[in-house]
Amino acid sequence: MTSLSRSDTSAPSPRRPFAKRLLDGLSPSRLAVPVFLLSWSFLVLAPLVVIVLFSFLQVKAYRVVYVPTLDTWVSLIDSGRWMTAVRTLRIGLTMTVIELLLAFPFALWLAKGCKSKTFKSVIITLLTIPFFLDASSRIIVWRSILGTNGAINTALMSLGITDSPIDWLLYSEFAVHFGLLGTHFPTMVFPIFMSIALIDDDYIQASQDLGAGPAQTLFNIILPMALPGIVAGIVFTLVPLMAAFVEPQLLGGGFVDLLGNSVNSALQQLKYPTAAALSTVVVALLGLCLVVLILVTRKRHDMASMFMAIRR
Amino acid sequence: MLSDPIDSPTSAPTRRPSSPAPTQPILEVIDATHAYDGVVALENVTVTAAPGEFLTILGESGSGKTTLLRLISGLEKPYRIGALRLGGVDVREVPAFLRDCTTVFQNYALFPHLTVGANVEYGLKVRGIAAAERRTRARQALELVQLADMYDRKIHQLSGGQRQRVALARALVPQPAILLLDEPLGALDEKLRVDMQVELLELQKRLGMTFIYITHSQEEALTMSDRIILMRKGKIEQEGPPTTIFDRPVSSFAARFMGVENCFDAELTGVSGSDALIRVGDHHLIGRWSGRKPPKAGAKVAVGIRAERLRLARAAPTGPDLNVLPCRGGGAIYKGKYLDRAVETDVAPMKARIWDASAADGEPSCVWWRKDDCIVMEP
Repeated sequence: MTSLSRSDTSAPSPRRPFAKRLLDGLSPSRLAVPVFLLSWSFLVLAPLVVIVLFSFLQVKAYRVVYVPTLDTWVSLIDSGRWMTAVRTLRIGLTMTVIELLLAFPFALWLAKGCKSKTFKSVIITLLTIPFFLDASSRIIVWRSILGTNGAINTALMSLGITDSPIDWLLYSEFAVHFGLLGTHFPTMVFPIFMSIALIDDDYIQASQDLGAGPAQTLFNIILPMALPGIVAGIVFTLVPLMAAFVEPQLLGGGFVDLLGNSVNSALQQLKYPTAAALSTVVVALLGLCLVVLILVTRKRHDMASMFMAIRR
Repeated sequence: MLSDPIDSPTSAPTRRPSSPAPTQPILEVIDATHAYDGVVALENVTVTAAPGEFLTILGESGSGKTTLLRLISGLEKPYRIGALRLGGVDVREVPAFLRDCTTVFQNYALFPHLTVGANVEYGLKVRGIAAAERRTRARQALELVQLADMYDRKIHQLSGGQRQRVALARALVPQPAILLLDEPLGALDEKLRVDMQVELLELQKRLGMTFIYITHSQEEALTMSDRIILMRKGKIEQEGPPTTIFDRPVSSFAARFMGVENCFDAELTGVSGSDALIRVGDHHLIGRWSGRKPPKAGAKVAVGIRAERLRLARAAPTGPDLNVLPCRGGGAIYKGKYLDRAVETDVAPMKARIWDASAADGEPSCVWWRKDDCIVMEP
C-alpha cells in the first residue's frame, strides 16, 4: 500500500501532454533570449547589414551590379553631402538640448507640481497628439503662419512694428528648429516625467528637512534620481531627430537639407546605393552619440545601481 | 505667558532632577489646527518642550501625531496656528530647510543614489561646509551609531537596523536644536527595537539634545520618555510623565491605551477627598479619582483596574480599603512569564494576572483589589 502511493508521487504522470511539459520546462529567460535575438536580428539587424553592404554596390540601368565599389562614398564626399551630415548632427544635438531644457522643468511640474489629476491626464493626452496626427499635415499649417504673407508678418505689419515682412521666419533654419520643437517634445517629456514621478516625495522632503534649499534639492536629489529618464529622453529624442525629413522639407524650403531629406530624395531618384550610404552615415552618427552619452553618464553614475535604487 | 491648562507644572521633566528650573521652552506649538481635505487631523493642540527633554507623542494611527511632527519640521503648513516657536524664534513663515530641526523618517528616506557617507554628509554639504570637515563629522556621527566602517557602502547593501542608524546619524550631523523621530523603530524586529530604545536613550542623554519622539507603542513611550503626550483624534487626551500616564489615566481611552485590562462603566455616588464612591449594579466600590475635572455625584464614570493588581481568593478578605466581588472561574491563558486568569463577575468579565503559576490551582470564589489600584476616571 505504501510502496504504491510512493511510486505514484515520484513518477511523473505519463498522461501529461508533451506540449505542456515542454512549456513548463522553459524558464522565461531560456525562452525570451533566443526569441528576442532571433526576431531582432531578422527584423532589424539583418536589414542594417544589408544597407551597409548595399552602399558599396552600384545600380546601373535599374539593375543592381554586384561588384564592390567605393564610387558611392566618393561621390558622397565630392558632392559636399558630408556637409549635410554635419548639419544634421548639429541640428539634432541643438534640438535635443533645447528639448531637454524645456522638457525637464515641464516634466518636473507635471510629476510633482500639478496636483489636479484631471489636469494631469488632460496634459498627458494632449502630449500624445504628435504621435497620432500625421507630421506633414501638422507642419504644413506653419507655412501659412510663418510665411511672408502669413499671420505673424501680417499682424506685425498692420500693428506697425515692422515695415517689411520678416523673411527668416519661414524657409530657414529657424523654421526647421521651430517645426521640430513640437514633434519631439513629448518623447523627451514622457521618460523624464515617468522617472520623476517615481521619486518618492519622502526623499524630497528629507532633503528639505536636512537644510537643502529648492535648488540644492533639485541638483542633489531630483536630477540624479531622474537620470535614467533623462538618458532615455535624450535617446528617444535624438534618434528620430537624426532621421527627420518632413520638417526640413516643408519648412526648410530646400535651404536646410538634412540626412533624412537626402535619403528620401535619393530613394525617389532610385539611387539605392546613395540612400544606403546616407543611412549608414545616420546610423554611424547615432552610434557615436550614444557611445558618448553612455561614457558621460557612466563616469558620473552607475546606471544599473540607479535602477536598483529606484526599485528600492 | 502660557495660561493654557495643558502647560501645568507636570510638564517639567521628572527624570532629571539635577536639570535647572524650567527655562525658556525650546519648542512651542500653540493652538495648532490642521485638516487634510476637510478631515481634521489636529484640533487646537498646544505642545511645548524644554531643552534636553525627551518628549514622546503617543497615539494610534490617525491620531494626528505625524501631522504635529510635520508642522514642527515645516513639511506641512498648518491651517491655523497661534504660535510656532523654535528656540524662542517664530518660525511660522520659515520654510522647512531653514528650521533648526531634523527628522528621522519612518521609512528612513535615505537617498538611494548616494553612499552611506554621502547621506550622512548631506546636511553639511547643503550648508556649504568644506569636504574635509564634512567627512570628519560624518565619520564621527557614524561612530556614534556604531557604523564607522560602513562609510563607503551603498544604501541598498544595508540591513533594516543599519539603515535606521544611518538615518539617525544623518539627522544628527547638522546638530539641530530638536531631533524629530517619526516612529523610527516601527520597521525593526522586536529584539533590535529593544536594543535601539536603549541606544537612543543613551545617545539623547549624551548629546543633551531635545528629542520629539512619535510612537504608537505605549511600552516604547514608557521606557524612553521624560514626558508623554497621548493623542486621540487630533486632540491631546492626556499629558504628563510616564508614571502619571501609566498609573493615573484620565479617561477610559487613556486607560485602555496604556494597557489597563479591566475597564467597565459605573455610576459615581459620592466623593470624599480623592476617594470616589461608585456603584455598579448592586455592588458598591471605592476607588481613586484620576480624571481631569472634579467629579460630580451621579455622573457616569469609567473604572479601570490593571490585571496584575487583581487578586483571586477562596475566601473574601476584609478591610476598609478593599473592593471584593464574588466571581466564578473561567479559562486561563499561559503567557510564559505569567498566567492570565479570566473570571466572571456580576460587574464584568475580568482578567487577573498570576505570576506564580503554581498558585493558579483551585477555583476562586472572589476577586479583590485595593482602593488605590482602582482608577475611577472619565468615561
